[in-house]
Amino acid sequence: MVFLIFLLVCSTQTFAQGARGLASSPPQQRGQAGQAKPASHKSDKPDQTEQLAALSTEAASQDTSAPVQESRAGQIEARQAEKSKESHPRQSNKAEKYIRQLEGVLLEDSAGLSPAVGSVYHGGGLALGANYRKYFGDNTFWNVKGLYSFKNYKLVEAKTESRDHLGKRLSFGSRLGWRDATQVGYYGLGTNTQQEARANFRFQESYLDGHAIFKPVRWVPLKGSVAYEHFNTTQGQGLAPSIETRYTSQSAPGLGADPTYLHSQLSAGIDWRQAADYTRKGGLYQATFHDYRNNNGGVFSFQRLDGDLVQHLPLLRETWVLSMRGRVQTTLNDNDLVPYFLLPALGSGSTLRAFATDRFRDRHSMLMSAEFRWIPNPFGLDMALFYDAGKVTSRRRDLNFKGLKSDVGIGARFHGPFSTPLRLELAVGNEGWKVVVAANAAF
Amino acid sequence: MKSSRQARSGGNQVMLTLLALVLVSSGAFGTGERKFFNDDPIAVEPESQDASRVNPWKIDLLYDLMRNQFARPGEPAGGRAQNINTIDEVPDSSWFTNRILVRPVSLEEAARGAATGKGPARGTWTVTQTKKEGDAPGFTVRDSAGETWFLQFDPKSNPEGATAAAVIANRIFWTLGYFQAEYYLSEFRPEQLQISPEATFTPPSGRKRPLKLKDLQPVLNRAARKQDGSYGTFASRLLPGKILGGFRFYGTRPDDPNDVVPHEHRRELRALEVFGAWTNLVDMKALNTMDTLITENGRSRVRHYLLDVGSTFGMGANGPREWTEGYEYLFEGDKLLKRLVSFGTYLQPWQTVPYQKNKAVGRFEGDRFDPDAWKTRIPASAVLRARDDDNFWAARRVMAFSDELIRAVVKTSQFSDPAAEKLLADALIKRRDRIGEVYLTRINPLVNFSLDPSGVFTFENAAVKSGVAKAPASYTVSWSLFDNGTGAMHPLGETNSSAESVPAVSALPATPGSFVTVEVRAVDPPHPSWTKPVRTTFRRMENGWKLIGLERMEEREPQMVEKR
Repeated sequence: MVFLIFLLVCSTQTFAQGARGLASSPPQQRGQAGQAKPASHKSDKPDQTEQLAALSTEAASQDTSAPVQESRAGQIEARQAEKSKESHPRQSNKAEKYIRQLEGVLLEDSAGLSPAVGSVYHGGGLALGANYRKYFGDNTFWNVKGLYSFKNYKLVEAKTESRDHLGKRLSFGSRLGWRDATQVGYYGLGTNTQQEARANFRFQESYLDGHAIFKPVRWVPLKGSVAYEHFNTTQGQGLAPSIETRYTSQSAPGLGADPTYLHSQLSAGIDWRQAADYTRKGGLYQATFHDYRNNNGGVFSFQRLDGDLVQHLPLLRETWVLSMRGRVQTTLNDNDLVPYFLLPALGSGSTLRAFATDRFRDRHSMLMSAEFRWIPNPFGLDMALFYDAGKVTSRRRDLNFKGLKSDVGIGARFHGPFSTPLRLELAVGNEGWKVVVAANAAF
Repeated sequence: MKSSRQARSGGNQVMLTLLALVLVSSGAFGTGERKFFNDDPIAVEPESQDASRVNPWKIDLLYDLMRNQFARPGEPAGGRAQNINTIDEVPDSSWFTNRILVRPVSLEEAARGAATGKGPARGTWTVTQTKKEGDAPGFTVRDSAGETWFLQFDPKSNPEGATAAAVIANRIFWTLGYFQAEYYLSEFRPEQLQISPEATFTPPSGRKRPLKLKDLQPVLNRAARKQDGSYGTFASRLLPGKILGGFRFYGTRPDDPNDVVPHEHRRELRALEVFGAWTNLVDMKALNTMDTLITENGRSRVRHYLLDVGSTFGMGANGPREWTEGYEYLFEGDKLLKRLVSFGTYLQPWQTVPYQKNKAVGRFEGDRFDPDAWKTRIPASAVLRARDDDNFWAARRVMAFSDELIRAVVKTSQFSDPAAEKLLADALIKRRDRIGEVYLTRINPLVNFSLDPSGVFTFENAAVKSGVAKAPASYTVSWSLFDNGTGAMHPLGETNSSAESVPAVSALPATPGSFVTVEVRAVDPPHPSWTKPVRTTFRRMENGWKLIGLERMEEREPQMVEKR
């Protein structure tokens, strides 16, 4: 028994020294350990008698006290027996645990409390907050969210959503919320305004809506919503003067008005992009009709039609992508009065990217963008050279290619298969440089 | 009266016998580490310990992908595979069963693969579970005979594509020697389905509830449907034993006592470099493997399956594979930078390689195939450690697939379009030949060594026999006596021959237990690497010589061609 134990210990030591294969180590390795080295293969052979003597001496000089396994199978079995003593269930390491937690937060549509990152209103900067979700059906939940940005923009919203009905063709929901945008810029009407003419206004919006999306086929989205929207405008905060100190109700239509709308919206289109927030092929052709009906006697009621055309053309197996976008927003009735804060606007990280947010406002707008995209990594990084051009006008017939404001730039987009969580862009136009940091696709 | 020459010869023979006796005795009684044991070469890898305490585990997909992509886990590369026997072969084990090349595999056998029956029984299928992992649409059913099957479908865009790829790859990998689930092509109509009362479903709310028929609709909506309203599917039979989760391509399973060789050093896993390139098995990850606990003869052990070999050829689960797959890892920093600064003009082969259009085959071709450049989607540790001897071992098995065998296996796809069947088989044949050209020629390709009792040494040149290289001018054969106790070699001489059959330089010892080492190198070969000898060792048995040792490369040796 003692011998067996001794044998096992010795064999274990042998294996621990690296003789782990089912085949033994080559002679060279043993030579390094001070034992016999392989004989030369050259023709200067030693005399066989000398060789015999030498080999006999070597054989006799072997350490006869060192026991070894007597078979290859025995060697392997001894290793297995040794491992058997140390076998243990697999434990996840810290990195794996952290990644699982991260997956839970980022990838799973989980219920409960979670951090929220987003935007309160364009131009308000990155907003952080908290989100709480509770399901009351397979695909139906209510959700409460609070966001706050460093510009003191605030949002509180409760909503309920019910998704994936009729074989994932129908989703609908409702929202109740309040937002406070403290320093929204206004530069006057039209394209020929000055940067220095900026004034700020603050608006608070309360809203309650019901909305639905129906896709009779996967690539035909039909959307509709009806919303109660109440706007309350007050003095703007921030470095720029407040709006009432620079503008009148002539130069800022609806200045001082706090309209309440029944806002109906209908849109139809065809959408064969891979995903709305990241795609390298496909397109979106869509028209959206807005009806803003002011409950306070009809003043400031208006209707607007938006048309969007987006086309992505992949080249050489998506080595490059030419992406183009055209957008027109037009107020339908020339006699309707549209409050300044609801006028079609250009200037932002997704319109005229070298210009300040809502830099240009008027009753009609047109925007064109073209991007030359190349794909350093198909699974995570796109680059783009882009060109934006657009204008706002007071008359629809002025929506032409004269007097366009334009910019150019370069961007990097860190994306997944369906989304663009980070878009970094540098744009330059006639009003200088602008850095864009966004969490969505440009278009 | 003997001549002096005869006398000298007789004296040499006596000395040789004495020498052999001494070498035999030192091997038999010497107690140092012997190179060869009496049971070498082993044909079956022992699994001596009871593994019944192994626990199921779940490998996190994202962690596994990130670790393999960025950390490159496992022991250093360059070393010889550790589960091979002394003649450079892989013993049968719970990982691998020697089939093609080692024994004849008939067309019928290869076309049948792991299948033991005819697939799911007709009649009502009871859905017991929806699919939780992977991209491919599917669910689990129990057929009218009570057997459990995992069903997967073709995407609408590519009818027959994914199911055919899975079935063909399943047969190929079984024939190569891997444990495979039983795969069958089948079909069903929605009216056949019913829901098991025990079946549960987890909707986005995360709250598990009884499964309903309507929960299957999103899965069926994504699946290709035949003109008669039925769904084509491949059905995978529930594996025998207890399901334990996948295995990684590095390290060992800590709770399996028989798993003592790090997976990155298992030859059959390294060989996936070649088998994967041949079939374009790009999705090599733990999630596509499965360990099961089986009990045979009262002992439990873990069996290892290459489970999901469907991401092969030109198809992915949801359509044609990505353009880059097979050519690039998900992330390659140098290529990213070059494309970034060149505005995408730094072009790679995947951007220009031509494909014949066929929806059932997808993006798969053989004309521009470069086995050295082929890559998995995510680096796989075992594949990264494949050496030239591992690839040679694998290439011989690939080359053992005749055209006829390949076409027979591809025929199991039941493509409705004969052009698809021909296209896929032709591509596999071209890729097979390219693998032979690359890997059979990279190292000394001599095989099938034998030494007959009269001392005639024979061998074959695998590259020449496969028609991928010309024969060298001649071979140099070096003979030595070998001391198994010390590893010392006593040179006997050299012979040259242009034939693949060479008589011994002198009489060889006839004493059972003596050893002879024979090294063969090519002279003036078409490939310089063939001048490096293959070293073989024979043990004298009662009735002749037995091959017990074969070394094609050193224990540690850098690769001639590093993976780019």
